Amino acid sequence: MEQLYEILEEMNPEVDFHTETALIDDHLLDSLTVLALISELEDAFDITIPAVEIVPANFNSAEAMWELVTRLMEE
Amino acid sequence: MFSVSSYFSVEYLLILLPLCILLYLILPKTARRVTLLLFSYAFFWAVSGKLIVYLLAATLSVYAFGLWLGRILDAQKQALSACEKSEKKAVRSRYHTKLLRVVSLAVLLQIVVLLVLKYSPFFSDNLNSLMRILHIQVTLKRPNFAVPIGISFYTLQAASYLIDVYHQKIPADRNLFRFALFISFFPQIMEGPICRYSDTAAQLWDVPKIRWENFVRGSERILYGLMKKTVAADRLNLLIDNVFTTYDTYDGFVICLAAVCYTIQLYMDFSGTMDVVIGSGEIFGIIMPENFRRPFFSRTISEFWTRWHITLGTWFKDYLFYPVSMSKPMKRLTSRSRKRFGNHYGPLVSGSIALFAVWICNGLWHGSGWHYIVFGLYHFVLILTGSLILPLSISLAQKLHIDRNHIVYRILQIIRTFLLVCAGELIFRARSLGEAVGMLRKIGTDFTLDALHSHTLFTYGMDRKDYLILLLFLVMVFVLSLLKERGVRIRESIAKKGIAVHAAVWIAAILFIIIFGAYGQGYLPVDPIYAKF
Repeated sequence: MEQLYEILEEMNPEVDFHTETALIDDHLLDSLTVLALISELEDAFDITIPAVEIVPANFNSAEAMWELVTRLMEE
Repeated sequence: MFSVSSYFSVEYLLILLPLCILLYLILPKTARRVTLLLFSYAFFWAVSGKLIVYLLAATLSVYAFGLWLGRILDAQKQALSACEKSEKKAVRSRYHTKLLRVVSLAVLLQIVVLLVLKYSPFFSDNLNSLMRILHIQVTLKRPNFAVPIGISFYTLQAASYLIDVYHQKIPADRNLFRFALFISFFPQIMEGPICRYSDTAAQLWDVPKIRWENFVRGSERILYGLMKKTVAADRLNLLIDNVFTTYDTYDGFVICLAAVCYTIQLYMDFSGTMDVVIGSGEIFGIIMPENFRRPFFSRTISEFWTRWHITLGTWFKDYLFYPVSMSKPMKRLTSRSRKRFGNHYGPLVSGSIALFAVWICNGLWHGSGWHYIVFGLYHFVLILTGSLILPLSISLAQKLHIDRNHIVYRILQIIRTFLLVCAGELIFRARSLGEAVGMLRKIGTDFTLDALHSHTLFTYGMDRKDYLILLLFLVMVFVLSLLKERGVRIRESIAKKGIAVHAAVWIAAILFIIIFGAYGQGYLPVDPIYAKF
């Protein structure tokens, strides 16, 4: 989880990823940033994120992203 | 023949909608479903006549393709449960190929119909121009098809259904009538919002009884939409029409004014229509997705497009941007470019290719003309530039000790975004790319404030009284939007009030429209702008 926070904070240091729960809904992450983030997550955790998983529910908070990452790591 | 020209027409607001509500109120559940479907087809017939055949063909073909996809998915499920673990990958791959072929054929069919009907004159004109340049003595006949209103909206809705079935986000609908209602629901068929099957299909089939609270909320929203249209959009129309039709007789300042007025008109017309559409749905207890979320509070162009025509933006994001940027070749490109250009700029390489595709399609979706394509490319360049300079902007602000969240900084960002949007809408509204360039050139070379000094400003289609009424109405809309932006739930608090308050709201809104609406001699009502897209 700490590794995820490091990636997110490097992506956008202006956002408090520990507390934000509407990163997509409140437009704190735009499509291009999400794309960069996916690329980072895939490399860092050796996973493949399919296009169908790119829904707000999976990216609205660091917690949700971590759930997605752990689920894909287990698959 | 009974015909309907827009959701603001007397035929819709005083005949079709009330009649449907009345029948819906007195009929039992099954008959309510039939009523909604029949009224949907009656509405489409009243708008597009015999072109309803295209809607029926799209409904039947998409329904059949959905069933086909469903059958392949069922067969895949059975095959997977019957095979060994080691064989599962091969089975999945075999069925995936089949599914991909069927969904591609199905989506392509819908898109081809749209392209042929809407864009073949544009393509043939451009091919003829190209052949003239190349001295090829062949001239293609310019096709001229009648285009059913709403085709751009229901085609995207149908495509999203097929792709969602393919991705197993939703099951294929076995009920033709439920599916037909999802595609053709009359309040939204002409101008959206572009609904997903998971948004509205179940709600529409559920046909809940009309509740007093829903009727009140829906009718008040319809009146608010009517106010936006009659008080602001129609009032601005003559000025905009004059300036955009004969722009060469005006100086740069007046053209700028017209561009700002058109941006306001487009918002008032389209968001007003959405108020009528979503309000109509609310009366029946159907919650449709919002298409606007106070777009003029956006700090960047990227944010603007998450607040303006939201359902179109999310459609392109979900069904074009991510599938393109997440495809295998693009992922390989992202991986390579990240190593070369770093974590921020690397993904922008593939992202920009996907974004380019999105904005070409977005421009073309709005109409068949080069100025629409340039309008799309304009936004592509602005969004990409915004992403490219973001790290620089953050580090510069840190070095200069500027708080990027300070209210002054945010207001400056909002003003900048609004002006950039207005420039884009000038290109969008122009009758051709040449005229758009001509207008921009005049802004750059012939900008004077003569219209203000000589008071000719009041002779272009709006007099002093019009400006004053418009200004007051814009202040009212701004205050309501600001309150909503800050989380004040105005509609919810009004909804809790008694009938006396609602009656007062209805009477006040109707009086407001009667007194301040721009209709009759000296005004030119605006045609529904988004219906023609």
